[in-house]
Amino acid sequence: MERAKINAGQLFVLIFLFEMGSALLLSLGIEAKQDAWLAVLTGMCGSLFLFWMYYRLYLFYPDMLPTSYMQHIFGPFFGKIAAYLYILLFMYNGARVLRDFGEMLVTSTYTETPLFIINALLLLIVLYVIHKGIEVIARTGEILFVVLYVLAVTGSILIVVSGLINIDHLKPVLEGGIGRILKTAGTETLYVPFGEAVVFFMILPYVNRPDKIKPAMFSALVLSGINLTITMAVNIAVLGVDLTERSQFPLLNTIQAIQVAEFLERLDVFFMIAIIVGGFVKISIYFYAVVIGVSDLFRVKEISSLIFPLGLVLLFLSMVIASGYAEHIKEGLRFVPLYMHLPLHVILPALLLTVAALKKRHSMNKRKQS
Amino acid sequence: MKTRLCCLTSALLGIILLSGCWSNEELPDLALVSAMGVDLEKDGRYTVTVQVINPGNVAGESTQGTGESASPPVSTFTESGWNLTEINRKISKKVSRHMYYAHTNLIVISEKLAQEKGILQVFEVLERDHEFRSSAKVVISYRSDAEDIMKTLSSIDKVPSDKIINTMKATEKAWGEHVSVSIRELIAKLVSSGEEPVVTTFHTTRNKGETLQSIQQTNPAGRLKAAGLAVFKDGRMVDMTTGETSKGIVWLLNKVKNTAVSVNWEGEKHAAVYDLMRQQTKVTADVEKGGDIRMKVDIAAEGNASEVKIPINLASPDVLNKMEQKVEETIKQSILSAVDKAQDLETDILGFGAVVHRTDPEAWKRWKKEWDERYFPDVQVDVSVDVFIRRTGLRNEPFHRN
Repeated sequence: MERAKINAGQLFVLIFLFEMGSALLLSLGIEAKQDAWLAVLTGMCGSLFLFWMYYRLYLFYPDMLPTSYMQHIFGPFFGKIAAYLYILLFMYNGARVLRDFGEMLVTSTYTETPLFIINALLLLIVLYVIHKGIEVIARTGEILFVVLYVLAVTGSILIVVSGLINIDHLKPVLEGGIGRILKTAGTETLYVPFGEAVVFFMILPYVNRPDKIKPAMFSALVLSGINLTITMAVNIAVLGVDLTERSQFPLLNTIQAIQVAEFLERLDVFFMIAIIVGGFVKISIYFYAVVIGVSDLFRVKEISSLIFPLGLVLLFLSMVIASGYAEHIKEGLRFVPLYMHLPLHVILPALLLTVAALKKRHSMNKRKQS
Repeated sequence: MKTRLCCLTSALLGIILLSGCWSNEELPDLALVSAMGVDLEKDGRYTVTVQVINPGNVAGESTQGTGESASPPVSTFTESGWNLTEINRKISKKVSRHMYYAHTNLIVISEKLAQEKGILQVFEVLERDHEFRSSAKVVISYRSDAEDIMKTLSSIDKVPSDKIINTMKATEKAWGEHVSVSIRELIAKLVSSGEEPVVTTFHTTRNKGETLQSIQQTNPAGRLKAAGLAVFKDGRMVDMTTGETSKGIVWLLNKVKNTAVSVNWEGEKHAAVYDLMRQQTKVTADVEKGGDIRMKVDIAAEGNASEVKIPINLASPDVLNKMEQKVEETIKQSILSAVDKAQDLETDILGFGAVVHRTDPEAWKRWKKEWDERYFPDVQVDVSVDVFIRRTGLRNEPFHRN
């Protein structure tokens, strides 16, 4: 473990930015049609439970990385396999976010630039910040948080001022019933974006005041959930369900629709900055988790020696996971939640928690007996 | 020291090399497309005419109107083909610069294309393309080709596309027979099952307004003017409305801002004029148990009495009350004529379906498939108009009162 500490406020900021990350890019929960925003909200509520699970796990082993305590819980052999699976998950998710980010830029703005170049440039910055360690990521996060909020507030004001919001687009509420919302939340929004924050159990041991973790985590989750809900509701209110559904990047279209006083328009850059900020933090967190996970699991003392090789793997992975954007999205919506997120975000942590709790009770009983 | 120098050099190199885009285009290499017109050929091909801005002739004040400027503010280029992407590439045979569509703010579709082939296919690419702005406005050419509209110069606004857009906005605000529709709004209505779009049509005189001489007179020879509202059904233009019917449609869409309403008074036609300042139209649906649908249209309008041709005592509240009732009746007639027209054409340009959808989602599920043909024509409409005359201008009684 790196000898570094971040405070609870920084944890809050990191979780918030992480959640906003690539979630701003997609039409979250659009399968629930005009109730997508409710699906996001429901997903957020569900993820509070997931977070509670991750937090309880942390409480059992406050000074250890998950990659170590998994070996404690499951025994060295199965524990190592589980830890390895998580490293693979973080690597893959990191590559996905990098790909999302690159695809967005290539599709909307840099149409003639090769994807590889864009991904490589962003990754270069990520590698640099990882090299500097978690404290620097956290401090960068604090600055970027302010940037993102200024953008969000200005953007919202401009959208309202240009009179784009048409509440009728959100009606009728609950047309497909509660069932459709629960289904969308359970198959999609629970995992992306909220469940993805499972990666933070790798970060929790670095927080200096353990007692403040719980409020920081949950408030970050709730705040980001509310923000995403508002974003989705605004997207639908401005664009209508149909366009939000067909749009690759609905928020970009919403922002493009802003026209105030004939001169404040074409504010695409708002969207770009927000996505780059969120994408940067998200990739950094994933990659940091990969690096410390690998160093912990394979007992590599010098973290910096891992950064460049693993960075190259991440970069190439981001290029090869899909041959095109349609394939990339299809994988992300159909296969990843079912085969990766459900087992690794929900089932395995639940298993870990159960076994850890049983072990604890067992050892306490033993102590009582002796 | 050495490492520091290395770092500094690489940082500086990075700043120099990484700034700007991979595929940068210098401004002098771009052809700024201000408007695009699409026509239909006999064999089903599209003909696209783009209006490209001549930067030098738009910027300087001195070149305009002196008669010395050798070339007009815009040039047009025409090319035909089976799809718009191909045409856009082929047009490079005629233009020396890279076609740049990010500033295109007007799309003109010819009447023939809108009637025969429908507009769905044209807008697919315009929505998908990253450079094109979905906030661009759409108009239909009336009794002229889109190409003619592209070629007509205008006198007050230098760029003709600006002239069309500004005219459309100005008349929407002042008179209320037309609506300005953007690509985004148009597509939203095309895909919605309970709404069909209306689009403003524009007319010009063929071969008249293409030269600089044509605008060097007080009454320009080729004149672009708003004609009516093109009514669409399933992506095809089925009819065009004008006059009071158009106004009724705009009323029902709640887009009337200002307008003038004239009423007859004791045998004299159009004797008193009401100047509308602001209004609010609310459309609600009432779905009865038996499946009868009643739409309720409530209008509250506020304005002034602005002109009388016969001696009426405008100082008297009773007279104003009477005038209010007459105005209410006129507005009501205009709205009912719009409803009749839409029901005749079996196309829900008034957005009643969307209102029903919001009011009764369950019933809408059963109706939406056959809404336009089966249910919409039988919808009963109750109109209630509430007009207020607040002021009568600077005078009370007219000077010709005796």
